[in-house]
Amino acid sequence: MIKENKTKDYKSLIQERVAKNSRKRKIFNNFMTVLLFVFVVIAIIPLASILFEVFKNGVGALSFEFLFSPPGAFGSGDGGIGPAIQGTLIAVGLASLIGAPVGVLAGVYLSEYSSSSKHFAYFLRLFNDVLTGIPSIVIGITGYISLVLTLGSFSILAGAFVLSIIMIPIVARVSEETLKLVPNTLREAAYGLGLPKWKVVWHIVIKGSKSGILTGIVLAVSRVAGETAPLIMTILGTSLFFSGFNSPVDALPLRIWRLASQPYPAAHEQGWGAALVLILLILALSVALRMFAQKRSTYKSTT
Amino acid sequence: MGNLDNSLRSSIKDEIDAISEYTKIKAETDTPTKNGILPSFKAETERNLDSELKIENPKLSIQSLKAWFSGKLALKGINLDVKENCVTALIGPSGCGKTTLLRCINRMHDLTPNATADGKIILDDLNIYDKQSDPVLIKRRMGMVFQKPNPFPTMSIYDNVAAGLKLNGIKDKNLIKDIVHDSLKGAALWEEVKNDLDKPGISLSGGQQQRLCIARALAMQPEILLMDEPTSALDPIASSKIEELMNDLKKNLTVIIVTHNMQQAARVSDYTAFMYLGELIEFGPTDQIFKYPKKELTERYISGKFG
Amino acid sequence: MVRLLDLGLTKVSSIIFDMASLAENTVSKAITSYKDDDTSTKNQIFESSAKLRFLQDEVSELCIELIARFQPVATDLRYIKSCMELSYVFSRFGRYAFDIITVLEILGPLELCDKSSVMRMSKLVLEMMDLGISALRLRDNSILAKIYEMEEMVDVLYRKSTRESSQIVIANNYSDNRCNISTALILKYLERISDHACYIADSVNYIETGMASPRR
Repeated sequence: MIKENKTKDYKSLIQERVAKNSRKRKIFNNFMTVLLFVFVVIAIIPLASILFEVFKNGVGALSFEFLFSPPGAFGSGDGGIGPAIQGTLIAVGLASLIGAPVGVLAGVYLSEYSSSSKHFAYFLRLFNDVLTGIPSIVIGITGYISLVLTLGSFSILAGAFVLSIIMIPIVARVSEETLKLVPNTLREAAYGLGLPKWKVVWHIVIKGSKSGILTGIVLAVSRVAGETAPLIMTILGTSLFFSGFNSPVDALPLRIWRLASQPYPAAHEQGWGAALVLILLILALSVALRMFAQKRSTYKSTT
Repeated sequence: MGNLDNSLRSSIKDEIDAISEYTKIKAETDTPTKNGILPSFKAETERNLDSELKIENPKLSIQSLKAWFSGKLALKGINLDVKENCVTALIGPSGCGKTTLLRCINRMHDLTPNATADGKIILDDLNIYDKQSDPVLIKRRMGMVFQKPNPFPTMSIYDNVAAGLKLNGIKDKNLIKDIVHDSLKGAALWEEVKNDLDKPGISLSGGQQQRLCIARALAMQPEILLMDEPTSALDPIASSKIEELMNDLKKNLTVIIVTHNMQQAARVSDYTAFMYLGELIEFGPTDQIFKYPKKELTERYISGKFG
Repeated sequence: MVRLLDLGLTKVSSIIFDMASLAENTVSKAITSYKDDDTSTKNQIFESSAKLRFLQDEVSELCIELIARFQPVATDLRYIKSCMELSYVFSRFGRYAFDIITVLEILGPLELCDKSSVMRMSKLVLEMMDLGISALRLRDNSILAKIYEMEEMVDVLYRKSTRESSQIVIANNYSDNRCNISTALILKYLERISDHACYIADSVNYIETGMASPRR
């Protein structure tokens, strides 16, 4: 009898309390929703305003001549940023050629092959994370000392090398995470068919994580395309088009910086134009790679 | 004696029937008296309770197999013979080691980190655990089907079935096509997918995906098919289709199945092995295990008294 | 932990043991009535026999239901199979008891007949029934040998008595065809009962060991 009363009491007590709180909860719920929305808007404002400013100020400078001709006289409004665009494309391209495979393979190692040497893998990941955080100027100086001084000149190779060092940890990190997402059952199914490990890794794991790996590469490329500091130390910047692997070359971030530091408004306008071009370039790259990845749809897109 | 019996009986019976008013009572014919008629003994009564079950020329012979996970002993010395062209079921409560045993048979156990095994498994004449045997070649002689259907998501149905062949270096397109069609027929999936071979493997229902995985395993023409709780993630109709399939498959292969579902083991298998805490407690023909198990532990488990 | 099947098994067991005691009582009542020439018990015996028949159907139904619902295996399965067979055995006992009292009723007062052979045999048979039922209750395999021995004795006794009764006709002591016929019939029924009592022993053996009957 007593037990019955007890359970009855609990029930009614709970019902009471829950009913009491429900109105409070609803109000709090709505309040939080609004608050979060406000924060999101606040977060977007800087980004939106930057894009707006760049567009507003830079769109006027865009023209065929602007995009393809070398810079004109110092301070005049002539010429364009042709070499800078070319330099950025070549530098980023070369950097990706080095950085992407190394990064992906590092990710593959960490995900697939490191289960037997847990300590080594731990340190590898640790260094990877540290590398992500190293200020790019430091990497630039390292590149300067190791490549520019030893090879005797500023060059695009040094620039590409330094950029690739920045790329590798990002690509490795994202690749490892994506590869880990492939369910173990797929690997087991492949082993069950009598496939050796490398075939399992290549055909099943890597091919199954294409979109994720591409995302990682896009992320890294977007990051390095805008790096200025390391490029100062390695490619120096110039007004000439590409003239060999051993000579300095120009790049968009450098050109923007140079143009912005000049006191002439004409140069500033060109600077805005260059910034707009840079942003559009990165945007185009991301979109293109994403579309490419979407076409070959996999079972899951990680981002 | 028999003659006297019968003649006496019939004459008396007639007389009684004539005078008795109780003939209305349904005259129940007696079951034929066993006097003088030998009962037909079924084969079970010939079984010799004392001798151990001996299988002649087993397809697979497991001898003193031990297995460890990070130093912890999971299989405590298993001795088991698997007969060819039969379905052998491994049953037992969770954690008894039946999946571990299955994975040792095709050396998948080695792929688990910190897992080791010791002992002999003789497939025909080859010791699988010999230092010189190549695990990859062993795996090609056996097919494995897992609990959750796992078709390769990036591949079409055709490619899924052909995966083992293509990735192992077979290039003859016609040969591959023939084998794929054959395997799909063998897995009872052909009729349902013959017009949709290019659709992605994951677009099928659960039961169909599992049959796709079976077809994929069959494409490699294995001698032994290992199935790890193949129907536990499926609905009853899909499960029964796969059980019927096992009955067909055993004509050409040897099947070893791990199952939690005892009724399934009773329905599907010819031989059953009961395992508990890493040991093989009892092994025998399925009807013997389920009608007269020899060990008390077996009896308690299959009667549902624990586990 | 009580399994769902156990509830069903308990129910089946209780019906079977009810049938067992009812059958035993009915048979011994019939024998006593024969000895005392008392036909008043006929209706009671008829009702008991009908009840046994009814209970047999009940057991049968219940066993089928348990098999369909619970898929029993091993000892449980053998026990259920045996219960289905034993229910038939006990209903037969009722039927034979009824047959015995019917003989008495049809062939009239038999006080002057020599009932000694029947009483000797019935003593053996009743004891066999008793042993069989207690073996079933206790699931005890050890008394089975005794039951089979007694069955042999009943066989021998049956042959002897049958031969004797035919000789009495020849020697022409107080005999009346009715005595001979009634004795012959009742001896036969008793022999059948002893045979069925062996089925009980067979069932106990089957439940315990899974082996079919080793005899005959």
